[in-house]
Amino acid sequence: MNTQLRRILALFLLGACAVPAMADDVIKIVKPATQLIRVAVTGFSGEAESVLDFDLSVLGMEITTPDKAEFVVAGHSNGRVEGSLTPAGSDHPLWTKGFTGGTTRTQAHALANDIVKEIRQTPPIFLGKIVFRLQEGASTEVCVSDFDGFNPTVVTRDGALVSGPTWIPGGGGLLYTSWKNGDTQILKHNLSTGARSIFAGYPGANFSPEVSPDGQKVAMILSKSGSPNLYVSDIDGGEPRQLTRTRDEDSSPCWGPDSREICFVCRSGRAQLQIISADGGQARPLRLAGVFGNLTSPDWSPDGKQIAFTSGSGSFTICVAPAEGGEAQRLVAGEDPCWAPNSRTIIFCRRANNKRTLCLLDVPTKHVKDIRQLSGNCSEPSWAR
Amino acid sequence: MKNVNLLGTFLAGIVMLSGVTGCQHKPVAPTPIPDWAQKSATGDHSQDNGATLPNGNQPSATTETSPVDYAKYGPLFDGPHNEDRDKFKDDTVYFDFDSSTIKPSEEAKLGEIANYFKNNDKFEGLIIEGNCDERGTEKYNLSLGERRALAVREYLHNLGVDDHRLKTVTYGASRPADPGHDESAWRKNRRDEFVLVTPK
Repeated sequence: MNTQLRRILALFLLGACAVPAMADDVIKIVKPATQLIRVAVTGFSGEAESVLDFDLSVLGMEITTPDKAEFVVAGHSNGRVEGSLTPAGSDHPLWTKGFTGGTTRTQAHALANDIVKEIRQTPPIFLGKIVFRLQEGASTEVCVSDFDGFNPTVVTRDGALVSGPTWIPGGGGLLYTSWKNGDTQILKHNLSTGARSIFAGYPGANFSPEVSPDGQKVAMILSKSGSPNLYVSDIDGGEPRQLTRTRDEDSSPCWGPDSREICFVCRSGRAQLQIISADGGQARPLRLAGVFGNLTSPDWSPDGKQIAFTSGSGSFTICVAPAEGGEAQRLVAGEDPCWAPNSRTIIFCRRANNKRTLCLLDVPTKHVKDIRQLSGNCSEPSWAR
Repeated sequence: MKNVNLLGTFLAGIVMLSGVTGCQHKPVAPTPIPDWAQKSATGDHSQDNGATLPNGNQPSATTETSPVDYAKYGPLFDGPHNEDRDKFKDDTVYFDFDSSTIKPSEEAKLGEIANYFKNNDKFEGLIIEGNCDERGTEKYNLSLGERRALAVREYLHNLGVDDHRLKTVTYGASRPADPGHDESAWRKNRRDEFVLVTPK
């Protein structure tokens, strides 16, 4: 049964919390993305239980008791993680799965991936990695961790400023801006070998690299022409091509999913979002209603449908809008949003009590979860995709 | 080239004497940044001074052509040099929120810096460091900080300081002068600081 038909059926059956699983061609209820789903998690202990609770709530599920649940996840984590998923009221689980290899954490994440795929019908994200800027005292370094902040690894030890770490698609490498050599330079960092090279080190500023989803091109801001403007070059280096020639500063490029368009911040009076072809030409404004003030740090969802961004100055709000423009939705307080590969979850930075932390936002339900806290300030998150 | 600079110096002197402060208020073309890497790519002997980019990643020629002589830019900033942060400490230039416009109150400071370079034939350079307060997203602040540094660079250029003695660096909001989180701190953080560079 195709997804659309399922959705139509789901709309008809909206409000019914129990639907018996039928043999073979199972009618699965897919609740509207904006509604919380109540899930009970039973039989697990320790780390596996906390991973499942965390992961499921990231995707807009409310952890509850079996009598109130719409789905029950039952299993154990003795030796290995094993679990079944059963719709409430049914005697038959939809499936039972066991996992081997990895750690208890990764096995529990893998089980959560399968549950979410079933209930939310979104691509798995719980084995994903993020990279962000970690500031402790005067020093800032690049830090890679699991999406939930566990297993952090600081990958630079320069004792210098860094900014805007971002992934090269495939997950094997990073680009980021470093002040290690005094000026801003964009460094390319191979995470397998630790080898680094200067990707862009032109006179003036070199910052905000973003690699296209096809891995072929890099958008960045250079000021070698005398103004901070948008440039694109091949991932292997070569001559960057100047796409904008504004006198005011441009910033924060991000790529559309087809690797052919770039959304970026352009100032004319105030900061606005514009879209330009990666081949150059005239930029066009992204026309938005419902937001005001500076609009910065855009990120285009991997499915191409939405653009997330930050509105405001000082007091920031995470917003999303249709990629073709239109009514923007103001979601939660925070800045620097970055989409997960499922085009539903956003990781962003929140300032509270003069500390910067990273949080996960489930866009349709507006639910926010803090990731595991590190001792320093965490900002500028980027999700490997 | 030299004639242009001399004329610029002369005109700038007139501007300063007459107290006219309008040169920042009308749009001017972006000032190209001296590009020593491009120069060494064309086989200029200045590459002997170690000014090439380590990755061999040579920039393209832009459609903008620079009016300045690049000859000593690379060696000055990339060669062995001393950095003096105190020399122009009192000349730190402050900006309004979210603005890179040079305020009339700051123009005298830049006049002093320009005079220092014009009355001094020692080959010294100036690093202009652009900074922001914390009320912007980080990448936006990097651009704003660079724009603030470039605004001063253009201003000094218009006062007759040779482009190849002026270099910009942005720190975004990463180097606050005051770590506080209120307007009294932010006011001190929206600034350009100056570092005098002297060859060793």
